[in-house]
Amino acid sequence: MNSSPDSRVLQQRFTTHLRTGVRTTIPGVAPDRLAHYRHAIFHMVKDTMESAYPVTCANIPRRKWDHMVKTFFARHACTAHQVWKLPLEFYTYAVENSWDEVYDVPYLSDLLAFEWAEIEVFNMEDVAPAAFVATGDWRETPLVLNPEYRLLSFKYPVHQEAKRARLLKQQGAWFVLLHREPVTGHVQFTGLSPWLAFVTEQLAAGITVKDILEYAPQLGITVTVELEADTVAFLEDMQRRQFVFGFRP
Amino acid sequence: MVGLGFRREFAEEMISGTLISPDFIEFAPENWMNIGGYWKKMLHRVVEKYPVLCHGLSLSLGSPEEPDSTFLRYVKSFLEEYKVRIYSEHLSYSKCDNAHLYDLLPMPFRMDAARHMAARIRKVQDYLQRPLAMEIISYYTPVAPEMSEADFINEVVQRSGCQLLLDVNNIYVNAFNHQYDAKAFIAQLPLDRVAYIHMAGHEQVAPDMILDTHGHPIADPVYALFEWTIQQIAPVPVLLERDFNIPQMQDLQAELTRLKAICHQQWKHHELVA
Ligand SMILES: [Fe+2]
Repeated sequence: MNSSPDSRVLQQRFTTHLRTGVRTTIPGVAPDRLAHYRHAIFHMVKDTMESAYPVTCANIPRRKWDHMVKTFFARHACTAHQVWKLPLEFYTYAVENSWDEVYDVPYLSDLLAFEWAEIEVFNMEDVAPAAFVATGDWRETPLVLNPEYRLLSFKYPVHQEAKRARLLKQQGAWFVLLHREPVTGHVQFTGLSPWLAFVTEQLAAGITVKDILEYAPQLGITVTVELEADTVAFLEDMQRRQFVFGFRP
Repeated sequence: MVGLGFRREFAEEMISGTLISPDFIEFAPENWMNIGGYWKKMLHRVVEKYPVLCHGLSLSLGSPEEPDSTFLRYVKSFLEEYKVRIYSEHLSYSKCDNAHLYDLLPMPFRMDAARHMAARIRKVQDYLQRPLAMEIISYYTPVAPEMSEADFINEVVQRSGCQLLLDVNNIYVNAFNHQYDAKAFIAQLPLDRVAYIHMAGHEQVAPDMILDTHGHPIADPVYALFEWTIQQIAPVPVLLERDFNIPQMQDLQAELTRLKAICHQQWKHHELVA
């Protein structure tokens, strides 16, 4: 009878050790070389997270950060074939496991979401916009937006501030728009008021400025001439910045 | 044909082609698929200029579990879209218990593993409708071996009908780290199956250990082993891999030129025939 385990079991033992550090002995495997693999893999994962999340990593004490990356890699089965997508799994894992509380970094998920969104918008597959013309009526014509964007909402203003004490003092409702410039591929960030975030969301759904303004009172918003002018001025600015492409023909 | 691995760090230089002009490029589909924006434009520009070979990283054909069919579908359409001439992968695995480890791990050199891997390669070849060129990886420890590495490779190649990607630096590094003779090892391989060659640099980090870094120029003894190796086989594309510690383009071009000169010298008979 052959008592030696089959290759599948050996591979499972080998990789379980590499991920978790749980002690294992496999015939022929030199301990120092096993350590080399474990070190190289962890270094690579950590490096990937630090390039994806430079602000988060700088904001968190080093031991805490290392512990996060170790825990993530040991407990989470990474599914991304593409290494650049691995940071998304880290962010998702942090949210699912309530790391804001576990690690006492209340703005952690905001910060990870913010840093991930930049990578995502920069790399996202090209999306063809709807047909548009350059001129139209800002109030009455449905607008055509740049489809390569993400609108994020945060509890903490992580797009403006990195210091813990200051972030914690500014808990509220914050909105940031990220969009990719069509020609250069650069990602632009725009902080939005709750009103402009709402407007952006509605415009993306094909609602006109006029209809959005008409609906506003139901949200408890008083529509003034000033609000209307500011809204249009914002959209004109966003056209210059290539977030608003134009008007539906 | 002597090519160069395409990297973001020197994408501009490769597209302009003034300081460096390889005969072809190679990249990992994983690093470029499902990407838009700036890098998609750059990819299109480089692909217009050079023939493309692809070198996969994450198929993990030595894994206990089945290959990811969604991913394979993407690979297939990517290879078609970019008219990829050779798709290579590794005699290795990088995924286990459905978790990717993002490293090329050493296979247990055992009959069950060889059979399993060969079956997986066959399946993927059938699906992609092309042979895979499987690279002999550098590795730092054996894992419960019951057969020699060369026997393992022969078994996989014979059973799967795959081609071989001979990374001469890997073999040099393995021969040093596991104390065997590189030429004797190469002589045991099914050399008629070699479809592609890789060359790269390494670094000795301990008296008994060389790391396959892809971060240094090709070492002289690896050139020598390359020169000997290509005398044993018919002409195939040769690739220079440089992933870290990127030098001046002139230095990379000098390595390409040196490889080309060796190919020309050793394969001139074939060139005349062709
Ligand atoms: Fe290689």
